[in-house]
Amino acid sequence: MQEARLFAWSNRWFRWSVLGLVALTAATMLVGFVWLPSKHGDFTAKSVWDSICRAAGVPNEWSTTTEWPKPGAGTTHVVLTNAMGRSGASDATGRGATIAIQQCSMCHGAQGMSDGGSPNLAGQYPEVIIKQLHDYKSGNRASAFMQTIANKLTERDIQDVAAYYDSLPKARAAPVRPDEPDAPALVRVGDPLRNIVPCVACHGGIDHKLGAPWLEGMPKEYLLKELKAFASGARRNDSFGQMRNMVRPLTAQELDSVAEFYARREPAHER
Amino acid sequence: MFLARKLVLAHFWVAFIAFGAAIVLGEWQMFVRSPLSAWVGDPEHYFRSVTAHGTVMGYVLPTLVAMGFGYAISELALKQPLIGLRWAWAGFWLVVVGTVVAATPVALGLASVLYTFYPPMIGSPFYYLGIVLVVVGSWIWVALMAINLRAWKKKNPGKTIPLAMFGNVAGAYLWAWTSVGAAVEILLLILPAALGLTDTINAGLARVFFSWTLHAIVYFWLMPAYIAFYTIVPRAIGGRLYSDTMGRVAFVLFLVFSMPIGIHHLFADPQVGAGFKFLHAVFTAMVAVPTFLTVFTIVASVEIAARLRGGKGIFGWVKALPWDNPMMLAVTFSFIMLGFGGAGGLINMSFQLNETIHNTQWVTGHFHLIFAGAIVIMYFVVAYDLWPQLTGCKALPAGLVKTQLWLWFVGMMVMTMPWHWVGLLGQPRRMAYFDFSNPALSNQGWTLVAGTLGGLMLVLSALLFIYILARAGKSEAAPAPYSFSTPVHMPATTPVALNGFALWVSLMIALTVVNYGFPIAQLAALKDASVPVIPIGGR
Repeated sequence: MQEARLFAWSNRWFRWSVLGLVALTAATMLVGFVWLPSKHGDFTAKSVWDSICRAAGVPNEWSTTTEWPKPGAGTTHVVLTNAMGRSGASDATGRGATIAIQQCSMCHGAQGMSDGGSPNLAGQYPEVIIKQLHDYKSGNRASAFMQTIANKLTERDIQDVAAYYDSLPKARAAPVRPDEPDAPALVRVGDPLRNIVPCVACHGGIDHKLGAPWLEGMPKEYLLKELKAFASGARRNDSFGQMRNMVRPLTAQELDSVAEFYARREPAHER
Repeated sequence: MFLARKLVLAHFWVAFIAFGAAIVLGEWQMFVRSPLSAWVGDPEHYFRSVTAHGTVMGYVLPTLVAMGFGYAISELALKQPLIGLRWAWAGFWLVVVGTVVAATPVALGLASVLYTFYPPMIGSPFYYLGIVLVVVGSWIWVALMAINLRAWKKKNPGKTIPLAMFGNVAGAYLWAWTSVGAAVEILLLILPAALGLTDTINAGLARVFFSWTLHAIVYFWLMPAYIAFYTIVPRAIGGRLYSDTMGRVAFVLFLVFSMPIGIHHLFADPQVGAGFKFLHAVFTAMVAVPTFLTVFTIVASVEIAARLRGGKGIFGWVKALPWDNPMMLAVTFSFIMLGFGGAGGLINMSFQLNETIHNTQWVTGHFHLIFAGAIVIMYFVVAYDLWPQLTGCKALPAGLVKTQLWLWFVGMMVMTMPWHWVGLLGQPRRMAYFDFSNPALSNQGWTLVAGTLGGLMLVLSALLFIYILARAGKSEAAPAPYSFSTPVHMPATTPVALNGFALWVSLMIALTVVNYGFPIAQLAALKDASVPVIPIGGR
């Protein structure tokens, strides 16, 4: 009985609260979707409808540019997913071993440990190998050797090689700890004022982020070469420019100290 | 009378013990980032601590206080035994179990995602399941408050719902609708990713759903404080409530306006259109209306108390106020902090001014001042006020109580004012360390030192609060019957609109559909909007 009277136009509480709210909403919408956009150059209102759509978050066209950056111009096509980071089955590891012995071991070592300047692959995360091989294949990472080899690999070959290297023991098993006194500050805490995140935030130590390679025990020449390539922009296959943005502000001495540190091997008696 | 005594006590004790633990974490966070300490060795520890602090302070403490206070109000204001006592205990245990289930992965470093979740970061599924249990436990409370009110209405047809219960049920309905956003986000978007069923998440949509909860939850935290302003303060200081109707209007306005405004948390997010951001900014401003109504009504009520005590003149009555009464102190401190915090809030909600302070320590300062300051200080006095009823204790030691309130107020001001300042200078929030050795920042280090000192006062105040409650001496005599404030002039009849929630809940839902419907539908329908999840502590 009372409820019926509540939702009745004759009830002034009902009437005024509904009218007030509708009027407020309508007036705000007029300002927010019509008037303000019309005053704003960014909204380049071709028509009232156009600016309403834009204000609602769905512009008729997202950009008037006709010159889109060409996909693959030195960046990466690979979208990293967690599935890529999972260990492969044992048969995949076996097949991967066969391919690796034939095609990779010359430079990367029979057990995935390189004595030359090539990166160690033993114990490398599978998604890292998958991503880099895809980037070589698409030409987004340049190397005369690696592009030739990667071009011949099928999708399944790539998965298998990744599974194989994932199964091998790492050059140095324990990641650097953030409180390790010998580690350079850049590795442990980064440099907040230069917007540089510590290495250990992605490469293991604090956290490991998908797609970030295991660096411990890598040859120094290799690390330094890649850091410099990121800094100069010669290498651009890092997703969203993550590495280029970190490395660009670093001095040559800082690059050297970081590479030197990660290249350290475990003392023989601890291996 | 007071069948739910143990129930309310259980809620309060768990809330306050969790609060006592979480505040120590907060102080550690302040200290470890200040120039008084070396940089935290492992920043993950810092974010782990922030997650635990935020989860307890944002979900566990206010939910348990609102629930416990709500059960007490239901019995004391309606003067009927609580219906559904067993269900209430079930709800309580769900909250407790949920807290433990959520806290465990946080402590293990498997869910350092902060209490606001921030997809595409994804932590352990147990963290989210724990939060779901806490929320489900609180939904039982919502249902029981509705059931108890309904039973009372049946027995008392045509009578006016007591104001305390009116505010209480408004808070319950507000929470029920508010928590839907985070519940949908967790159940449909986050949990499938956390359980490994999917590798990607629509982060933009998830954040819009969280904003649905994120702002209105503040008003759910605030409701117990506002109920105390209207229905406890005037009685406790020996005055009368200036207007019962004004209280009802404030509560229903919160119900309507606090919900569909959360996109002001997403002003810097690209996935929501500028028009909707403006819409939410305007409705956020509307929340100032019930706040001002309340400040006006309570100041008027306080003035009545002063004049009853012989206060004279335009401002001379202020001197006649019962300044030795802890409730008087608490409401004064609360209003001062509400004033500063509210002024800061107007800057946060302004579409353009927000750019200056977005994601800076200003925001951290703001919500500590409003919630931990203006609101939590009222939680303290609510507990003090109810304690004799709950435990049959003697009057609490007024000196200690006043010391505790002073410490809280001064500590909060000392901590949050420099935070606001350094936020204006651009110091970002959610940082585990700052390089104060760099000349560009070296003159900002004092703000963290001040914060640490303020924080220390807050820790002492919290410990004192728990000590006062724990050591309350038993009284031989039964406690005097509990009463709520009496209005100066109780209207003979209350308009039907202000004696129920049907109209306001309808408007709340309608406004939510208008303000959120399109952004949610558009983002849900958008192709290729999902991004790979970033597992936290996974490897």
